[in-house]
Amino acid sequence: MMELVYSENRERREAVEATDSELALRARGGDMVSFETLVVRKTPAVVSVARRIVGDGEDARDVAQLVFLRVWEQISRYDEKFSFNTWLYRIATNLSIDFLRSTRSRERAHGATLHLVRLREEMTGSQTTNAVEDAELTRLFQTVSSRLTGKQKAVFVLKEMEDRDTKEIARILECGESTVRNHLFNARRILRREIAKICPGLLERRRS
Amino acid sequence: MNALCETVRGRLPEYLEDGLSTEDRRTYREHIGSCEACRESVLEIEPSLVFARVRAEDVSSEDVERVLTGVRAGIALAEAERRAGRARNRRRHRVAAAASAAALAAMTLVLPGSRPAARRPAGPVAAAPSAPAGFAPAAQAAPSGTFPAEATIYDWNPGAASEEPRVVWIVDRSLDI
Repeated sequence: MMELVYSENRERREAVEATDSELALRARGGDMVSFETLVVRKTPAVVSVARRIVGDGEDARDVAQLVFLRVWEQISRYDEKFSFNTWLYRIATNLSIDFLRSTRSRERAHGATLHLVRLREEMTGSQTTNAVEDAELTRLFQTVSSRLTGKQKAVFVLKEMEDRDTKEIARILECGESTVRNHLFNARRILRREIAKICPGLLERRRS
Repeated sequence: MNALCETVRGRLPEYLEDGLSTEDRRTYREHIGSCEACRESVLEIEPSLVFARVRAEDVSSEDVERVLTGVRAGIALAEAERRAGRARNRRRHRVAAAASAAALAAMTLVLPGSRPAARRPAGPVAAAPSAPAGFAPAAQAAPSGTFPAEATIYDWNPGAASEEPRVVWIVDRSLDI
């Protein structure tokens, strides 16, 4: 019994020290300890990008679960020649975009419209003109970015908020770099328009 | 306004056109995150960059634990469904095998030299636990090896002189029909 516990602890310690790619290869061989180590290690990044795309913490956790289940199902297809992170981000981005398209997400968008009215009042009010906190900006982003397509939003999030370079985003979204630049260009144009429409106070304040 | 501020404001077009290296982009964003004047100046031209400085919300250890628990449950469910699927397939194959065996058992085997046995009803075989009248078990004739242990061969042989065909029935009671 003691030996079993010792062996399991040693496996966990080795898994913690291994690289992502090593863990993925072990998981591909059916090693559950390595797979769970990957889940624990990568959950913050996956939840972070999912939250920015789907716009809600609870939904982001649901998406993260789906992401790791998909990783488990498809781990036999993982090719160690490519970055595990890129593969993981591809799954996370695709599932987040799918989630955005789902019925549930549309219902939430209706809720966001109500929220938008409140937000507009707050942002044009004189008392809120000095500090726009991260949480408020996150809410504003979810509102104005609802006009973006899934791909545009994913590109904007990965490029401007997750600090990924264009080449990697192209690999994640399985498209060309020029397509990524186009998505980014259109995303900025739509965001500019929506900010001016929904939250003119933000721009006027800055201009003044 | 220092030299970095001047550089940041001057290189906004490069930033927007993806002309900066990853490292320079990071420095650029860090600067507009910390320098109020540069941020205001940049946002006036490109308001969407207001979101570039939003930090990721913390993911707590409880969040990680919840995701892990959900993933474990999902994998267990998927495995259970896979096992149930395999069992369903096995059952389906058994039923198909039983149906084939029933069809085989119901079929009268007409041996060479005999007339077709279409007159012989097939019904009794599947239901009959014992030999139909006039039929005698011919277990001793059963081949060994892969032949099922619970199967019985009924051989009705009216003899070479008769006009009736020789009929052989196989009943396998181990099959779940």
